[in-house]
Amino acid sequence: MATQALTAQHLTRHFGDRVAVDDVSFELQPGEIFALLGPNGAGKTTTLRMLAGLIAPTSGSVRIGSEAMTPDAAPKLRERLGFLTEAPGLWDNLTVHDNLMVYAQLYGMRDADKAVREALGLFEIADRSRDRTARLSKGLKQRVALARAIVHRPSIVLLDEPTAGLDPESARDVRELIVAMRGEGRAVLLCTHNLDEVDRLADRVAVLRSRLVAIGTPGELRQRLFSSRLRIRVTQDAESFAATLRTSGVDDIRADGPWLSLPGGTLTTPQIVRMLVDAGAGIEAVERDEPSLEEVYLKLLQADGALQ
Amino acid sequence: MRMLALLRKELADERQNLALFVPTMIVGFVAVLLPVLVAIVIPYVAGERLSDSSDFEVAIEMYRTQPATRGLDPEAAIQAYLFQFFAVMLVLIPVTSSMSLAAHSVVGEKQARSLEPLLVTPITTFELLGAKVLGAFIPSILLTAGFFLVYIVTAALLARPGVAWALLGPRMVGIVFILGPLAALAALQMAVCVSSRVNDARTAQQIGVFVILPIAGLLVGQLAGAIELTVTLIAWITLGLLVVNAGLMRVGIALFDRETILTRWR
Repeated sequence: MATQALTAQHLTRHFGDRVAVDDVSFELQPGEIFALLGPNGAGKTTTLRMLAGLIAPTSGSVRIGSEAMTPDAAPKLRERLGFLTEAPGLWDNLTVHDNLMVYAQLYGMRDADKAVREALGLFEIADRSRDRTARLSKGLKQRVALARAIVHRPSIVLLDEPTAGLDPESARDVRELIVAMRGEGRAVLLCTHNLDEVDRLADRVAVLRSRLVAIGTPGELRQRLFSSRLRIRVTQDAESFAATLRTSGVDDIRADGPWLSLPGGTLTTPQIVRMLVDAGAGIEAVERDEPSLEEVYLKLLQADGALQ
Repeated sequence: MRMLALLRKELADERQNLALFVPTMIVGFVAVLLPVLVAIVIPYVAGERLSDSSDFEVAIEMYRTQPATRGLDPEAAIQAYLFQFFAVMLVLIPVTSSMSLAAHSVVGEKQARSLEPLLVTPITTFELLGAKVLGAFIPSILLTAGFFLVYIVTAALLARPGVAWALLGPRMVGIVFILGPLAALAALQMAVCVSSRVNDARTAQQIGVFVILPIAGLLVGQLAGAIELTVTLIAWITLGLLVVNAGLMRVGIALFDRETILTRWR
């Protein structure tokens, strides 16, 4: 029995001679935020459009739950999808309420007005419901667009660059709303360039450059490319304690002022800390020295570029 | 239901953007003003009666032979003839209006980038285009009816007695309420077809020349005495327009390819 909210299998899309998406497969689980990362022109938007049944794959298939996305089934299956396009695409002459109302009716909501009120409440824009959307700030427009994407209570939400062009405060608000969507059990597919955002939000990440370069949790991708290291700040000069650790069989120790950096995995963190304390070190901080997702992403693309 | 939801949105959008109706209002006022100028103001200023000119003998004879207008005096018969003659201008009102609204409607969606979210909904192409076409058609027809009323009231107030009543025959009704809407439907379907392929509302509107030119041809043909817009001729033109509209509907749906629109519209 299928438990995936959405399954993409060997998705391929050609535009003339150009291959926009090449043999991409992944699944999206309910209550998961899945990020699709990739440079401009990597095929992210084309992939989203194929998932939404807006354009047909040249080959491969999309399943929503257990049902295949075919041209005949697409209108019905789209009722289970919410799609935030790259631009909010609101009707500027209409009020916030009316923008959402049209969509609630297009999705055949029985109590469209109630659905709109709920969406407005969830995104905290009820007080602006009578304003024309032309008068809203970019951040508020994005909120309205997000509310529109879920007004019909879809189980899957596809978000294309949800925080692009927003100020930090609005971007933070949007991120909180995305987390709230996950909290409600929706499967969220997030397409973005913002690696920091992915690091904060995503349960799993796929790196796309026409084809799938890598897929996994951010932690898995880090582990795959970089060996994990431990950073310890001591109250004294770290160099003297580096020697102590070397004698205990820990290799590749770097000392820099009060900081010690050593590879993880040889000994457990408590063992290392105890060893340092026994040697007279005052421990100020212990942290895992993880590469940023940006480093992981660039290394992945670099490796992929070298292969091509 | 979905078509109705989108239609309501189209009408609400138009109510907020009344500038769209300015070209139509100008055409409407010109259509009302022209017969008033030619049949009433100019003869009054020149101090001459139309019935003194031998140019309008045909008009007098034509109106004397029709039962509904038999009682008109020669001056009133000529005025009725001129008001009927310029009634073709009323056909331009729905044509201008629907082209302007339809071009704005589809190209406007492109420019606002609001079409992609709309295409993600379960709405079918027929429902989407149906709402777009009706959203332009309904206000166009209402405007035409409004200007027709103004036309008749103007004739009743300014022309000789009996002229306004003489205008309310099957010929006039055929021109305003059958030819007008069908020509408007053809024009707006052309505008929708072209809008699917261009990014500029003005380009979409220019296609309307293919509808306006035959209407202008009718006007000139009548002026030159080559065409008499009889009820039979109106029936033939109606039939032709029905065929054209049916063809345009098929072409419109075929041209409105979602993939092409999404992948090529920028």
